[in-house]
Amino acid sequence: MSTAELQTMLKAAAPVAPDRLRERVRSLQPAPRRTVALPGFPSPRFPLRRVAVGAVALGLSAFLAAAVVHGVASDDRNNVAVGRSGGVVMKLGPVAESVPATKAATDGRRTLAPDVTGQGRLTQAVASLTLRVDGDDRLSRATSSATRVARALGGYAASVEYVTPAGEPGRAFLELRVPTARVQEALARLGNLGTVVSQRLSTRDLERQLERQTAQIQQLRQTIDLLRVALRDPGITPAQRIELQERLAYAKRALAQRTHGRKATIAEGTLARIALVLTADRDAALGGSHGSGRLGRMLGSAGSFLALEATVLLFAAIVASPLVLLALAAWAGSRVRRRREEQSLLAVP
Amino acid sequence: MNATTLDARLPYAAKPTFAEVAEGELDAVYRYLVFLTRDASVAEDLAAETFEKALRAWRRFDPSRAAARTWLCGIARNVALDWIRAEKRRRQREHHYAAQTGETLEPVWAEGVSPELERALRKLSAGDREVLALRVVLDLDGPAAARVLGISQSACSTRFSRALQRLEELIADEHR
Repeated sequence: MSTAELQTMLKAAAPVAPDRLRERVRSLQPAPRRTVALPGFPSPRFPLRRVAVGAVALGLSAFLAAAVVHGVASDDRNNVAVGRSGGVVMKLGPVAESVPATKAATDGRRTLAPDVTGQGRLTQAVASLTLRVDGDDRLSRATSSATRVARALGGYAASVEYVTPAGEPGRAFLELRVPTARVQEALARLGNLGTVVSQRLSTRDLERQLERQTAQIQQLRQTIDLLRVALRDPGITPAQRIELQERLAYAKRALAQRTHGRKATIAEGTLARIALVLTADRDAALGGSHGSGRLGRMLGSAGSFLALEATVLLFAAIVASPLVLLALAAWAGSRVRRRREEQSLLAVP
Repeated sequence: MNATTLDARLPYAAKPTFAEVAEGELDAVYRYLVFLTRDASVAEDLAAETFEKALRAWRRFDPSRAAARTWLCGIARNVALDWIRAEKRRRQREHHYAAQTGETLEPVWAEGVSPELERALRKLSAGDREVLALRVVLDLDGPAAARVLGISQSACSTRFSRALQRLEELIADEHR
């Protein structure tokens, strides 16, 4: 018998569905759709799938909205953030309108940073200031004036770098040291040397650190005194004497280190560091420019926030990936088992 | 052009109603189940169950991805496999009773089938009968049949060739 004849035989043997089966199928009724009733809205009911899709879209919109809000909020030029060590960091534009003036550092033309150095407490102050001046001649005079300001306030210029490349605007980079208590005054007087492009002042309270170092030094001195008294005792054994001498040497070294550290803390709090940049570049960005500059900062901040969100999602994906791989492996294994089981079921007549 | 390829080649065809599809494919599904189970009455129940499940899943059916017959045969296959598993467990439980009483219930294949063909088909494995039903009786093409079986097209072709060859041999044995 040929294959064609066999196939013809098979087709001819194909049964027809009985009428009762046809009636059963015709009488089937569709099942009610799975829907979700949102709280507060008993009707209309929404299909489950649409609710799920809507929830995903809402989540993505929330991500984007959070990024936009972050971008707008972080554009506040007079915001203040509290640092971890209790210090204060401020980022200021060329004109800080809403910041109240202080007695020590006010200028008829500009309102300046408030006094955050903490009267009576040891405080570390680090500031940076960028000024724009008109032309290389003014740059030279401003550089000299800046060093004179530092000296007049009881400080000094730790380093000065003056650069005037051919065909390009000149720049000067100064590292100034001024007494911490006079840092606001220094910033005010330096600000008069040109147009302020940006300024930044950060402070950190060093009082607790100083107290801790002082207490350690006192304790070490007491320890040293006790060890010396113990060494004068004639009744100690040679082994005990050696041990006491080792402990005394260790305590003396520790005392020297703590004393040196305390001096460094005091020095850190005594003189503030000011990084001053003078530029003759006419195109130097002004912190107070409006329009696209503000929009650009907002977009940049929003973009950074989106990047942060993406980083968090990536981290979550990395953490979840082993579990996902395990789930995929389990699913693949179950598929293989199911396939083999089907084959064994269908292998028998 | 057979029925399985016609629907698939209409890229933007409107989705038919379930009633239309059920009316047009009922015979095909029933035949497939008869070949798979060798029992007309069981095939009738399983066919009804198949269309119940198909009606519940009707919203998810996309005619651009597969023909209705292919889709329904996939559902019918799962329904039949569930029945075969249950039947296997039942036979294991009732094996002792059947051995004692000697009762054997021979299922009825269908009317109009020659005895030698029916005997040959009964000797084939369910897998062989299945592929013969899909390729010959239901007239599904290679890709559609492979999709229902969940195997590659080449594996489906091989299985079909072997099933035909075995059936041929069994019918030849019947004639001797």
